[in-house]
Amino acid sequence: MFARVSDIDRMFVAMDLLQSRMGRLFSNFDKSYLSGPAFTLTSNSPKTNLLENGDNFEVQAEVPGISKDDLNIKIQGNYLEIGGKRSVDTPDGYKVHRNERGGSTFSRSFTLPADVDAERVEAKMKDGILYLTLPKSETAKSKQITIN
Amino acid sequence: MKERRGLAKTEEKNIEKTRELKSAIPAVDIYENEDEILLHADMPGVLKKDVSVNIDNGTLSLSGVRKIETKGVLKWEEFNDVEYIRSFSIPQTIDAEKVEAELKDGVLKLHLPKSEAAKPKQIEIKAA
Repeated sequence: MFARVSDIDRMFVAMDLLQSRMGRLFSNFDKSYLSGPAFTLTSNSPKTNLLENGDNFEVQAEVPGISKDDLNIKIQGNYLEIGGKRSVDTPDGYKVHRNERGGSTFSRSFTLPADVDAERVEAKMKDGILYLTLPKSETAKSKQITIN
Repeated sequence: MKERRGLAKTEEKNIEKTRELKSAIPAVDIYENEDEILLHADMPGVLKKDVSVNIDNGTLSLSGVRKIETKGVLKWEEFNDVEYIRSFSIPQTIDAEKVEAELKDGVLKLHLPKSEAAKPKQIEIKAA
């Protein structure tokens, strides 16, 4: 009769392990968008990161295989819009075995946390990633208040 | 999921790990004509020195590591450091010596030329 207590204990250990694994499954699920092919958001737009660097915002967007001419970037106040066209570059005369990198037009807009000075924005494309440096406008910069 | 006290005492050791490099599968396009097979793989942000292409015994493996510089406070993050990794089995007709690879704008383009013996040849029928 008492020998059975260890069996019950083992069953509870197994249930604890199941519970902790299921918990980790949920938290890993939320992070799965961080890895994965480009353009896999539900709206077929590029994945982006937004960073804030003191007086600048920096936007990074994954845009592989897209040239500068296929992208257009619009800024107004604190509204940023990135749009473009991804074309399928099938060379002539080739048979297509697999096409996962589809082509389409995309557009994505953001409301930035503060107004941006549109005259001084810099955009750079490197290795398939677009880096936008957006300086905050004067009114949006934080100012140090002196106490007298 | 909120943490509940375990039903039984367990000794699970949670070893602290620094953030591991996640792996991702790059999207590819595969094209073929008589002379070669073309493979285009999306690997945005990967530098030439971090790409490795290996052909071994009928298997082609691609791997590219990408590190993103993030200076400043991240407001939102939708992509970060990943390792793009994918393997394919390629037919024996590919000439492994003459494979060429090119990395441009975040797209890896591979040319896999078919060996001479494998190209289709037209057999001429001579009138008997």
